[in-house]
Amino acid sequence: MERRPAEHFDRDLSAALVRGRSVSVPGFADRTVSAVRADRLRRTVIRWGSGLSAAAACLVAVLVLGDPSEESLIVEARSVVAAEESAQFQELLSLADDLALLKPVIERPALVDDLAGGGS
Amino acid sequence: MSEESTPLADEEEDRRLMALVADGDDDALRLLVHRHHGRLVGYLRSEVGSQATAEELAMEVFIRLHRAAGRWRPDAKLSTYLIHIARNLVLNEWRRRSRKPTSALESAPEPGDSAPESGRRVLELEEAFARAVAQLPDEQRTAILLLVQQEMPYEEIAAAMGCPVSSVKTWIHRARSRLKELMSDFYGPET
Repeated sequence: MERRPAEHFDRDLSAALVRGRSVSVPGFADRTVSAVRADRLRRTVIRWGSGLSAAAACLVAVLVLGDPSEESLIVEARSVVAAEESAQFQELLSLADDLALLKPVIERPALVDDLAGGGS
Repeated sequence: MSEESTPLADEEEDRRLMALVADGDDDALRLLVHRHHGRLVGYLRSEVGSQATAEELAMEVFIRLHRAAGRWRPDAKLSTYLIHIARNLVLNEWRRRSRKPTSALESAPEPGDSAPESGRRVLELEEAFARAVAQLPDEQRTAILLLVQQEMPYEEIAAAMGCPVSSVKTWIHRARSRLKELMSDFYGPET
């Protein structure tokens, strides 16, 4: 290719770039408005979804806070166990009493009594 | 970026339309898109080298503009604001692709046998320029496109690129030097 004068460089650069300066696209404005409407709807749905999620989270929080916490549940369980252990202990004590009632009665032989009485 | 009427009238009309868009007027939005999309697509096409991607990005620019319409303050020209959004999207696009455009426009005209000799030379030269511009570093390419192609003043380029005017001047100087190197086969020595 025949070399061009260096002085033409800026003019050629400008001519080459300006050619693509504006690219009009038929129907672009209508498509863009449709895309904007879709985006608007999507953001509305997200906003509502986010609001509903927040409300659900609040509801769950209220329900959870209304119920015994884990710590209180542990305390409650321990007290139940303790009560159960106490009951078992009491039961054992009662059994011991029962056993005491069932201890064999040792009667002193009559001979011993006679000897003791004869001595008197 | 409007094609006709005076710049001041254009800016006033943009402000009026943006106020309507902020109130949810889709007809105003349609008019605004109609006024600005040509040059926006042209700029994006030169940046990314693809007509389809340029249209997608231009549409995203207007979606973002619509989202920000309520907060928009006319401190700068709307066209500068649009270019600012577009450039951010271009940078995101390159990061997403993990590469930069290294080739000329996909739809750049090929020199054909049917074209006259002089026409073929012009097309060949234009395509060579497009390839050379695509090889420039990001900032240099954007700066030279906004200055030469979009005919924006240095101050507006600086506003659109979010940098000082001195940086824009430096990038443009380097871009010219680099382009002269890349196009050295086409030009004789400087006198």
